[in-house]
Amino acid sequence: MNLVLPLAHALVARKDLPIPAWLFAWGASIVLIVSFFALSAAWRKPRFEEERWRPLGAGVSAVLMSMGAQALCGAIGVFLLGFSIYAGIDGTEAPDRNFALTFIFVTAWLGFPLFSVILGDVFRPFNPWRAIGRVVGGAFSAVAGQRPAHLDYPEKLGRWPAAIGLLAVVWLEVVYGASGGVAVGLSPDSAGLAALIYSLYTLAMMAVFGVEKWCETGEIFSVYFGMFSQLGLFGVEEGRLGRRLPLSAATHWATLPGSAAVVIASIASTSFDGAQEGAFKSGILQTFEWLAETGLSLTASLRLTDTIFMALCFAGVGLVYMIGVRGMATVRGAPPLKKLRTGFAHTLIPIAFAYLVAHYFSLFVFQEQAQFTYLLSDPLGTATTDLFGTASSGIDFKLLSANAIWYVQVGALVIGHVIGLTLAHDRATAYWGDYRQAARSQYWMLAVMVAFTCFGLYLLSVANA
Amino acid sequence: MNSKTTRLFAGIAVIVVAIVLLVVLKKDDSGSETSSNASGKVPTVVIKNGKPVGGIRDLTYNKGERIHFVVDSDVSDEVHMHGYDIMKDVGAGGSVSFDFPATIEGVFEAELENRKEQIIELTVNP
Repeated sequence: MNLVLPLAHALVARKDLPIPAWLFAWGASIVLIVSFFALSAAWRKPRFEEERWRPLGAGVSAVLMSMGAQALCGAIGVFLLGFSIYAGIDGTEAPDRNFALTFIFVTAWLGFPLFSVILGDVFRPFNPWRAIGRVVGGAFSAVAGQRPAHLDYPEKLGRWPAAIGLLAVVWLEVVYGASGGVAVGLSPDSAGLAALIYSLYTLAMMAVFGVEKWCETGEIFSVYFGMFSQLGLFGVEEGRLGRRLPLSAATHWATLPGSAAVVIASIASTSFDGAQEGAFKSGILQTFEWLAETGLSLTASLRLTDTIFMALCFAGVGLVYMIGVRGMATVRGAPPLKKLRTGFAHTLIPIAFAYLVAHYFSLFVFQEQAQFTYLLSDPLGTATTDLFGTASSGIDFKLLSANAIWYVQVGALVIGHVIGLTLAHDRATAYWGDYRQAARSQYWMLAVMVAFTCFGLYLLSVANA
Repeated sequence: MNSKTTRLFAGIAVIVVAIVLLVVLKKDDSGSETSSNASGKVPTVVIKNGKPVGGIRDLTYNKGERIHFVVDSDVSDEVHMHGYDIMKDVGAGGSVSFDFPATIEGVFEAELENRKEQIIELTVNP
């Protein structure tokens, strides 16, 4: 049978070269050496369990946290959401010429994790659904003379809705478009419609459970970006901006059920996106052909195949983590399994971030050039609009050499590995009173981290090959 | 850390390094693809019924070399070399020649623009 994948190039006109074998070997070796060092130079008392939060100057908080600033940020967020929906549905169907796709899946989806790590939870003030929810809630209170009543959120659900939502977003981005291995395979029209449906769903959930409750547990973007903000230096407490010990906030993040699933979903979906154009390419093709021969349509076969591989990624990443947790449980003096399972989930956040950087760094740098030039001047891709005189600018693909991209990719994985180990060791010293048992438990987490990092390196070494 | 665990981890490290080496050596075996167009012949991609004969053609160059290929097509379309952003029309039964320097590193697609059909995967190594 002569089957050809229904290919459609979407956003990216350029894909990364696979990292060369020597760099792969060096990366893996460094990971091992670093891990040894971590074992021998370990500290005995937890250092990151307390945030040691200190407020910034009162003036800074007064300005940045003021009602005016919040209203402005919220208005910007609502405008950008509304505009993305409009551009997606009304603009050109050429994915690379439509503002919506790049803005949603590159600028926001990749930009917020980056800026959350550096600056803290920046999505919160710009969150368009939260802004709308707060305005509606405020208006309700003013009219009815009482605060809106909400149902109690089922605490058992925890962050599961966000974890499943995260997988759904990536599924929509990578699988639904059924474009056979391109970065964003979705049509702008579908993206706009999806954003609209998600907005209605989110606002409904906020009405039912309350704005802040839903942002904390179910709103995909709040939970996902908020997770990365836990790694950084800046945080808000009691309405004031402050500085804290970096990484320390992450140690308290995974207390809600389903938090581990959110991190695992993040690592798994990035792995899938990276692997589908490299490591899984032939496996996907074979499964696809097999399904297509059973009589399914080509699009359905490809979607089903990708869905299976994505689910396998989630199961695989989850399994590796669970092996680590089960292993730790065998060490004398271990806390209950459930506590271990949630207690070490945050140690994967740096790995998840490293995976993001490794897989999307070049895409982000190149596509942002489009975002701030022709997509800004001609957001609907009409070819007749030129708002800022940059409609005819292109992307300079020479901006990053292959070598620069490789070093960033490998560097991100190694640094993520070190930070993950640091957090895991720190948590172990908090859970095991006895230092020796704590160190022993960490052989397991070390194996988990080495597995993830080497898998990440492997994915890079066969990417687009 | 006691010596027993040190030895255990040294053992694990040796195993992992061995696996890494295995992967690296295995890759080197199949690494003959870089000289695919060094023979001096200009690669020609033949399009039949709007699809590339023999599947998507892989072309690999090093940065600084000249990229030179010909597309023979039985359909009328526009050949778009992405990344380098070069577009050339080809008529049904006609052929079109591409000749440009490899200045940008990465993996790029050339496609029949109107059919959205990828015909070439161009790799430019540093």
